[in-house]
Amino acid sequence: MSDELRGPDDDALGRRLVAELPRYTAPVRLRVSIVETTDRPRRPVWLMPLITAAATALALVLFMLPVLPRIAPADPVQQVVRAVVNEHSRALIWGARQPQILPAGLPWLTQETGIDLRRAFAGDDRLSLVGAEPVYLTRLRGVALHYRDVDGHLVTYVALPAERTFTMKERDRVAIAGRYRPMLARDSGFVSWVWKEGDIACFLVSDMASQDDLERFKDYFVRVRVATEPTIAY
Amino acid sequence: MADADFQRQTLQHLDALYNFAVYLTRNPPEADDLVQETYLRAFRFSHRFQPGTHLRAWLFQILRNTFLTFYRLRERETAIAEDGVPDWDVPMFHDTSTDEGGALEAHTDLERAMRRLPEEFRTVLLLAEVEGLPLEEVARVMACPVGTVKSRIFRAKERLRALLKDYEKK
Repeated sequence: MSDELRGPDDDALGRRLVAELPRYTAPVRLRVSIVETTDRPRRPVWLMPLITAAATALALVLFMLPVLPRIAPADPVQQVVRAVVNEHSRALIWGARQPQILPAGLPWLTQETGIDLRRAFAGDDRLSLVGAEPVYLTRLRGVALHYRDVDGHLVTYVALPAERTFTMKERDRVAIAGRYRPMLARDSGFVSWVWKEGDIACFLVSDMASQDDLERFKDYFVRVRVATEPTIAY
Repeated sequence: MADADFQRQTLQHLDALYNFAVYLTRNPPEADDLVQETYLRAFRFSHRFQPGTHLRAWLFQILRNTFLTFYRLRERETAIAEDGVPDWDVPMFHDTSTDEGGALEAHTDLERAMRRLPEEFRTVLLLAEVEGLPLEEVARVMACPVGTVKSRIFRAKERLRALLKDYEKK
């Protein structure tokens, strides 16, 4: 056999490869396994790109969600509520920009905002006044009073001039203490009491959204409502 | 999706593919995996097969590409991981060391010599000489010109002769 290979006879080597090289046959289990695999129902070819595209789009939307502009509510009351809630959130995180002490700061607040607080709730055993400041919400100047209750909840009172479109829905009103019927508004996890006093729209905002907290929040509303009297100064 | 007739036709070449896979991988369990993967790909991309062309060559091409892309990559990663630098002389697939589970033992000098050939030479001999594929089909499987195939066959045989000569001396 060696003589054959030493020479230039390529055909001989080729023949030897065919004749002598062992051939391995596929095991039966491999054949069975392939048949079983191919018999299994498979997803259509177009499905995987579709799923991939949908998953990518979903991931992008979720990623962009925090920076997407929020849809403004159509209801004018709800729009103002959202602005008030945003102001409350800001105060909750950063505190008041220009905190004033009451009643000393009232004349300055009136001068700045055009809203005169004839009487202002200055705090009691449950709520303590943190500060007062002028605010500018939905292109309206107003007054904000920040309180903190004994449990640490920040409660914000806001008085703004009420526009003509500012009409509260009856179905959202809640009777409190048999005397008052403010509107209860919820936005972004916060709750607000909304009511009107003459030409002034008033808001009391807090994060006391649970059922138990809401009862206490009603009490805060009464305390603030009876002791605060805003009017348009000019 | 592959229809039943296509599946039946491809399964006729199972033994040839398995034989080729054993010589490429030098390890029957891995040859199993390679063949199975080849069939999965063939069925998945059955719409790309042009009827009238050589099905056998098409399957060999898939098998070799799968081997080169998947198995060789794995082998190279192992080689790099062990000593920190790439070792280009390592076998493309598992070597025939005796301590390795499932590794195939060579029965003849010819088989032993075949295993020592580089993958390009082994493939060209197996396809052209053992399986009897036309040179044009071998060129298609190996993605190279026919002239290169001829040259590789010549060099592969030269190398094979030299190896066999060495075995005889021993």
